[in-house]
Amino acid sequence: MTRGRRPWLRTAVATLITAAFLLPVYWMVNTSLTEPDRIQADSPRWLPVPVTTENYSTALAVDALPRALLNSVVISCGVVALTLLLGVPLAYALARIPMRGSGTMVLALLVAQLPPSIVLAAPLFILERRAGLDDTHLGLIAADTTLTLPFAVIVLRPVLRSVPRELEEAALVDGCGPVGVLLRVVLPVMVPGLFAVAGLAFLIGWGEFVFGLTLASEPAVQPVTVLLNSFVGRHGTAWGALMATATLISIPVVCVFAVFQRFIVGGLTAGSVKN
Amino acid sequence: MGKHHGKRQGGRHTRRHPSSPSSRRRRAGYLFSLPGLAFLGLFLAYPLLYNVWTSVHDVDLGTLLGGASRFNGLANYRATVADPDFWHAVRLSIVFTLASLLFQFVIGFALALLFARPFPLNGLLRSLLLVAWLLPPVVSGTLFRWMLDGESGAYNALLRATGLGALSHDWLTDPSTSLAGVVFANVWVGVPFNMLLLLVGLHTIDPELHEAAAIDGASVWQRFRWITLPLMRPVSVTVLLLGLVYTFKVFDIIFVMTGGGPVDATSVLSLYVYEIFFRFFRFGEGAAAGLLLLLVPLLAGGLYVHRLRREGEAA
Repeated sequence: MTRGRRPWLRTAVATLITAAFLLPVYWMVNTSLTEPDRIQADSPRWLPVPVTTENYSTALAVDALPRALLNSVVISCGVVALTLLLGVPLAYALARIPMRGSGTMVLALLVAQLPPSIVLAAPLFILERRAGLDDTHLGLIAADTTLTLPFAVIVLRPVLRSVPRELEEAALVDGCGPVGVLLRVVLPVMVPGLFAVAGLAFLIGWGEFVFGLTLASEPAVQPVTVLLNSFVGRHGTAWGALMATATLISIPVVCVFAVFQRFIVGGLTAGSVKN
Repeated sequence: MGKHHGKRQGGRHTRRHPSSPSSRRRRAGYLFSLPGLAFLGLFLAYPLLYNVWTSVHDVDLGTLLGGASRFNGLANYRATVADPDFWHAVRLSIVFTLASLLFQFVIGFALALLFARPFPLNGLLRSLLLVAWLLPPVVSGTLFRWMLDGESGAYNALLRATGLGALSHDWLTDPSTSLAGVVFANVWVGVPFNMLLLLVGLHTIDPELHEAAAIDGASVWQRFRWITLPLMRPVSVTVLLLGLVYTFKVFDIIFVMTGGGPVDATSVLSLYVYEIFFRFFRFGEGAAAGLLLLLVPLLAGGLYVHRLRREGEAA
């Protein structure tokens, strides 16, 4: 690769491509801010003039939406917590402690990311019903965590390996137990990795759909992705309210990504995984 | 690393003093792994095994609620394989996957080449592209349903505005174009991820190779053909294998855009499994079809792990 001779030309080309690529996202926001009776006009409006929040009020007036948004917050925060709680000790053990079978465990974690959600949803539907976990937040959090935990360990393991061993040994000499070493010495060093995992686990929990669709039938538990899907079925042509709902779901995604961007991109390319 | 450690500590301490620091450490290791592994065993491994059990039993809503299910051998598999809808779904899955992989890889590669050199705003634009990939698939699906709408969709409006109105079309409700429509949306989701991973690969190519070739008079195309492409081969295979795993199991975006229709024109394997299991409650057959759906990701995953290991040994 020679150094770019005309870097601004590249900027222009890349900006145009990015703009064209993101047209659907712009269109979502545009539609959500356009007056309902102008949305399906013969020639669509490229700018939402006059701007209206009517679509948002319509969407939020449906009782189910605030409820579903709250459910999604509960579920994705639960997923983050459970993923970190189970993932950090497991990744630490696999990275730093010589154990029999740790190679097999890492392999198993790679394989664990392969099953399509729908294949897992089928038996979980039966088993969670028997265990009384169907139609509960906990049941959904557990199901979603099967997606995040394997990949969290795979992203965290190399991060933990890069923590200098001397740090740990010094702490051990000072009389710290293994738990103390993990909490007081290792965790603070791996904060960026934790952010990456927490951010991605949140995004996966927030966007998850298959488990929400199959394991929760009660509106009191259903995540907002499932609600959006049923809106599409019921109000197929109320595009203003639909796009307002879609925008509301996207806002946390963009925020989380903006805040954790550096960590997430690093974590992704390290683990090369997403479900 | 593990090996050295074992030798050093195992030889001197562990065997003679069971409570030495290193064996205490190992016990802590098992203790640390236990909760995570137990969780995955309970919510991932056991359900999948249970699926195998279901697939060889006659399970329906009645037996699920109490009655005993009867072992029926391979009957569920036979019923699935005899169902023409199953083979229709297999064909759709293959076309959907190959088309998605082809387009997202080629476009992702082109974008990676564009973004591989430094230019102002490079980082910002790259992050913006990634947003497309991070949006929940249900949102992207709803979005493209609207974009591809026959009457008021933005893409048709664009076609009309540029004098290509003859091409405007009700993409998703016409069975002959609906698969193209969902592929289009899925490619949109996949491009940024392909770009990101291929970009990492491009950055590992030594720039001096290109400089030396340029001095020797190689054209841009020649350098791409004889330097970039061969050196990108390993990364490309990895990206395509991962893409295969993810694309073959796509469910959300198709489900929201078309629900598998019109007239099953987009009913890929994952949607077929959903139908059998959750609409018709034919649990045994659904489990059998699900396990057949699992074969492709397992195969691709096996190849991927195999390559990871080989690279690990080479490094």
